[in-house]
Amino acid sequence: MSSHPHPDYEVVIGLEVHVQLRTESKLFCRCAVRYGDDPNHHACPVCLALPGALPVLNGRAVELGVRAALATHCSVHPRSVFARKNYFYPDLPKGYQISQFEEPLATEGWLELELDEDGGTTKRVGLTRIHMEEDAGKSIHDTAIAGHEGSHVDLNRAGVPLLEIVSEPALRSPEEAGAYLRSLRQLLRYVDVSDADMEKGHFRCDANLSLRPHGETTLGTRTELKNLNSFRFVEGALHAEIVRQAALLDAGERIVQATMLYDPAANRTRVMRTKENADDYRYFPDPDLVPLQIEVEAVEGARAQLPELPEDRRRRFRETYGLSAYDARLLTESRALADFFETAAREHANPKTVANWVLRDVLQALKERDAALEGARLSPEALAALLRLVDEGKVTAANARPLVPELLERGGDPLALVRERGLEAVSDTGLLESAVDEIIAANPEMVERFKAGEEKILNFLMGQVMKRTRGKADPGAVRRILARRLED
Amino acid sequence: MTEPLSPIATLRRELDAGTTSSRKLVEGALARAGRLESLGAFVGLRAEAALAEAEQADARRGRGELRSPLDGIPLAIKDNLVQAGEPTTCASRILAGFVSPYDATAVARLREAGAVVLGRTNLDEFAMGSSTENSAHGPTRNPWDAERAPGGSSGGSAAAVAAGIVPAAVGSDTGGSIRQPAAFCGVVGMKPTYGRVSRYGLVAFASSLDQVGPFARTAEDCALLLETLAGHDPRDSTSLPESVPRYREALTGDVSGLVIGLPREYFVEEGVDPEVLAVVRQAVAELERAGAKTREVSLPHTRHAIATYYLIAPAEASSNLARYDGVRYGHRASGAESLGAMYRRTRSEGFGAEVKRRILLGTYVLSAGYYEAYYRKAMQVRTLLRRDFEEAFRGCDVLLTPTAPEVAFRLGEKAADPLRMYLSDVYTVSANLAGVPGVSLPGGFAHGMPVGLQLLGRALDEATLLRVADAYQRRTDWHECRPPEPA
Amino acid sequence: MARITREEVERIADLARLTLTPDEAERMTGELERILEYVASLEALDTEGVEPTSHASPMRTPLREDRVEPGLDPDRALANAPERDGHAFVVPKVIAEDEA
Ligand SMILES: [Mg+2]
Ligand SMILES: [Zn+2]
Repeated sequence: MSSHPHPDYEVVIGLEVHVQLRTESKLFCRCAVRYGDDPNHHACPVCLALPGALPVLNGRAVELGVRAALATHCSVHPRSVFARKNYFYPDLPKGYQISQFEEPLATEGWLELELDEDGGTTKRVGLTRIHMEEDAGKSIHDTAIAGHEGSHVDLNRAGVPLLEIVSEPALRSPEEAGAYLRSLRQLLRYVDVSDADMEKGHFRCDANLSLRPHGETTLGTRTELKNLNSFRFVEGALHAEIVRQAALLDAGERIVQATMLYDPAANRTRVMRTKENADDYRYFPDPDLVPLQIEVEAVEGARAQLPELPEDRRRRFRETYGLSAYDARLLTESRALADFFETAAREHANPKTVANWVLRDVLQALKERDAALEGARLSPEALAALLRLVDEGKVTAANARPLVPELLERGGDPLALVRERGLEAVSDTGLLESAVDEIIAANPEMVERFKAGEEKILNFLMGQVMKRTRGKADPGAVRRILARRLED
Repeated sequence: MTEPLSPIATLRRELDAGTTSSRKLVEGALARAGRLESLGAFVGLRAEAALAEAEQADARRGRGELRSPLDGIPLAIKDNLVQAGEPTTCASRILAGFVSPYDATAVARLREAGAVVLGRTNLDEFAMGSSTENSAHGPTRNPWDAERAPGGSSGGSAAAVAAGIVPAAVGSDTGGSIRQPAAFCGVVGMKPTYGRVSRYGLVAFASSLDQVGPFARTAEDCALLLETLAGHDPRDSTSLPESVPRYREALTGDVSGLVIGLPREYFVEEGVDPEVLAVVRQAVAELERAGAKTREVSLPHTRHAIATYYLIAPAEASSNLARYDGVRYGHRASGAESLGAMYRRTRSEGFGAEVKRRILLGTYVLSAGYYEAYYRKAMQVRTLLRRDFEEAFRGCDVLLTPTAPEVAFRLGEKAADPLRMYLSDVYTVSANLAGVPGVSLPGGFAHGMPVGLQLLGRALDEATLLRVADAYQRRTDWHECRPPEPA
Repeated sequence: MARITREEVERIADLARLTLTPDEAERMTGELERILEYVASLEALDTEGVEPTSHASPMRTPLREDRVEPGLDPDRALANAPERDGHAFVVPKVIAEDEA
């Protein structure tokens, strides 16, 4: 993920992310927040903007907004004001969007990014502001659906609660922008603020980008890239825009402030509209909604309930459990996974072993079933118990491994399962010695070659013994006995 | 026979005595509405529905299950309050054909109380006006003189009550739209404290100023209506949570010791008809005889009220009226080849001149570069106006002023001059800007036309306003004067 | 000096999605000019440090619980639609000029 700086210009990127808050009902009415239903099945006088209808604020949305603000180290304002952003569009029923402008919910925070796989380099990206606003509906221009004369308007999404999170122009490459979006999305999921599902439009990104000669301190003229709705899309669009702007600057031309559209097929950006026909949104405080007040106690209460943030937990996993930055990052991808690992690690002497089993066996088994850890029957305690059986030589690692998927589906006690499958490791010396003697007797020429100095023969003989004991023999014990017998 | 209807209190006595029935009252009201159609007070009658509801009310009465003192009483509703299953036009072409799927809270409360909605009354388009001339349905005429305006914007409701078609009606007041027509038509009209009556279902003109309120012939009937209309509504974020007093119990007839403030700025000779002032001074003397004390007070920023109002109200209106875009309901221009053309043609055809004027003014003062100089400045002056009232009410219980600087003007007299029309709200807009309650009641006559007395009170102190108004009506009979019956 | 020009009136008319006939534009310019002249009286008033009042009531905005209630049945939601296709509102095609 490391970023390659542009030879001639410093790249300056700022991102605006719109995140859908995880609520049952819309921001200002009680209609369901539901994706993919038939048009206008979740609409009422308020979100249809019928004459006389009025907005009432969803308290849950405010809670989630505050939580997101705290998770990004923003200061939550005791008073914020909803304002009307006035413009005409068919999917904007009132002719204005209820948003926040002069007095947003929160300002001045930061987000920590890890800029490479092994988490060696991290970067704090400043956040300018976080504000609440309502989503618009959908205008469907697709002629296949809407025909050629007109467009369709569906207001199911109109009024769905959004958080707009605005970064400082502090990102220096498309890759950094990608890293920023990934850790923001992970964080918001981690603290249960949003499902941040890009396919469903829960997590939408606009970018602004400008170039300036290295060492230059004043910002160049920026352009805006709208609706970059997948990570690959974002990085592709930004790369394309860098190429376009650099070419213009090289040619001594000036950048025109404009809104750009990215064509992924051609991998080019083109001007959608310039700021000459700039919007005039005529923001003013919404008279239907008096100012939102949030007491310090409420904010502190929310802060107290905030879980340990992924960035802190990663650090702690490295320090207390001696994990690699890479493993620590994978284990903190979701709160459920991090909790699972940590509970298991507490029950077991070697956290690294636990991490390996969780990241390899548990995750793979989940992936194969595409199941979620939340629903799995395997408790972290049970995993720890299974690993202890391996340590104590009661079952071999090789035999324990296939049990993980079973425990995942059926749950239950690992020892019982080992017994049921008759997989207890054999460490009874008498039994092993006789098995070893039989193998030696059965392979005289191999024994000769070993004595002649063919070390690797030992592994062959071990394999034979293991086969004879159907994999249940404690490999350590077998190796000792073999070695002793072959001495004489 | 279509006798004008008596006050609700009288009608209830007759209903209780069985000398009349709700059905008879509604039949009479409908007949009278038909006979006085040329007034243009109503834009729609609910003849069948109203008769059916009246019969249900009579049945309840028969079973001794009356819902409230308003049960079975016919009322009229300004056509900017939505009623489920009924059209709402706001006297605008842009709402042509619109039928509301839901009830305004104020309407729902009246229905639950058993009141019978006779019909929808005329208004200036989207309540923007002071004469009820700016209506897609044509003007409403003043029952006292058909050549004169009833005032506005709730002119239809005021005229319907003055003409005795209904004993009471509901209107809305953004800058005087209840009080000024009440004054011009010689009835009682009250604008409650901002937030006292839910705005849910009131088609917004200027959301931070709009307030729903009652018209009636007596303060007592106003109190009765307000008890039903007022109260917290979770659907309106600006609705006040305070519980509703039983206003009728405040009507003791006693004003002794009460201090009535007379704002100097409202009694200046220039700009006000001296005969109107004379009537107001007689009323002051009457209240003093009743034991009230009077003292001069000052509301120093009054002369800035109209300018402040005509910056704030149009700004909010320009945004509130953006939803009329021809997409989801109402008028849509036919044959537009693009969305932009559809918007422009729909809105240009649908809105009348005054509405367009205010949309333009409001869009202008909110637009880039002007917000600070105009809108923000106006909001600051609004603070000063609010403080004026807080200061004044330290030294008195209510304020008494003329409701309007003149009696009802002639139809068309000011239509050509928007600014002159705006200035006729000079005594009423301050109460909206400050959010305090106000009531206008008949105080006498000048030039043969009714003169209104305005009482302004502390926030949520409607009770004292009604007490003073009632006390005055017990000592005078101006409210019993009826306009001449048209031949 | 004029407080508002005919060009400005046409610009804000466009912002408000209104089309004015030449006479309308002329008349409106004059009327708005007079009104703005009148409201300019506020300029004389010193409001240094006065906090603005945007709401008449001193209250804070109430918060409602996050509970779903059924909205309108789609056929009622579209009952007033000037043009519809199934349960979708239909509007004329959006052309580039409309996006601005
Ligand atoms: Mg936004
Ligand atoms: Zn809704």
